[in-house]
Amino acid sequence: MRKFLFLFMLVAIMMVAAPVYAQGTGSPASVNWATPIAAGIGMAIASGLCGLGQGKATAAASEAIARNPGATAGIRFALILGLVLIESLALYTLAIIIIKV
Amino acid sequence: MPEQLWFTQFLNQHLAGVVTPLLQKIGFAPHYPEAPFSNFVAMELLVFVLLIVFFILVRARLSVESPNGLQHIVETIEEFINHQSEEIIGHHSEKFTPFLVALGLFILVSNLLGLIPGFESPTASPAVPLGCAILSFFYYNMHGLRKHGALKYAKHFLGPLGIVGAVIMLPIEIVSHLARLLSLTVRLWANMYAGDLVTMAFFSMVPILLPVAFLGLHLAVAFLQAYIFVLMTMIYLSGAVAEEH
Repeated sequence: MRKFLFLFMLVAIMMVAAPVYAQGTGSPASVNWATPIAAGIGMAIASGLCGLGQGKATAAASEAIARNPGATAGIRFALILGLVLIESLALYTLAIIIIKV
Repeated sequence: MPEQLWFTQFLNQHLAGVVTPLLQKIGFAPHYPEAPFSNFVAMELLVFVLLIVFFILVRARLSVESPNGLQHIVETIEEFINHQSEEIIGHHSEKFTPFLVALGLFILVSNLLGLIPGFESPTASPAVPLGCAILSFFYYNMHGLRKHGALKYAKHFLGPLGIVGAVIMLPIEIVSHLARLLSLTVRLWANMYAGDLVTMAFFSMVPILLPVAFLGLHLAVAFLQAYIFVLMTMIYLSGAVAEEH
């Protein structure tokens, strides 16, 4: 019964995306049809890699604080600095997209 | 004509008659002669006026025996910047404090102004962070030149290796210094502009309650980005003013 309810809810939610079915034969005709696709893929890759890098930085910082709680101030400073520098790399991609799309 | 905020409209109504002929005489004719102030210029002027009023208020009520609340706040800010710059730059870093505090407060108030309805952050338009970055760039180069002299400062660009290393290091160093301008500008501008965009995007989808989370995030990012701008300036200063022992 629960499994049936779950499947039923899933199908019902997917029906909410009904407008998608209306785009059956919409062909991209303008010259710059690839730009939004490239923008989406580029930004996704940039954000994903940025997330990986920041995850590693945060993990290393958490481990360092756990091993040496007395040095928390310095470690926190290095963590914030590293996170912001990595973030700015993803933001360069966003800037290109904002300017060119 | 682009849409104007109420403060921009107020400035344009009262000052367009004076400012537009002045600009035309210098040769920078505005695109819309009846509205020479664009939104971000008007907001910048507002930040300038707010900061001047703040500093005058603090200065007028300075007292050693019984400091009031405002003085405590300013002393905290100054102590924070002093401590950070002492850690990063070393001794004799107090002479950089006025510039760093002014820059930090300007960027902070600019970022926070965008959270109030009816105003927008001047830092959300790409010109203002570029201006701050150019200021930082000239400031740290000027102090490096003043401390070491032009010849010795240029030698820093050549790197520690011999003459062959210098040929490779020089273009890399020049590009990396110019990239500092780019990174300071884009970091501040993209954070503020993307914060606005994301808040608008979620506001258009879920107009109740969810955008508050993004406004909270934007608040935290405003403080963090102002701090990071000042921190990066301090790091570049320490690189320029460093003494070899």
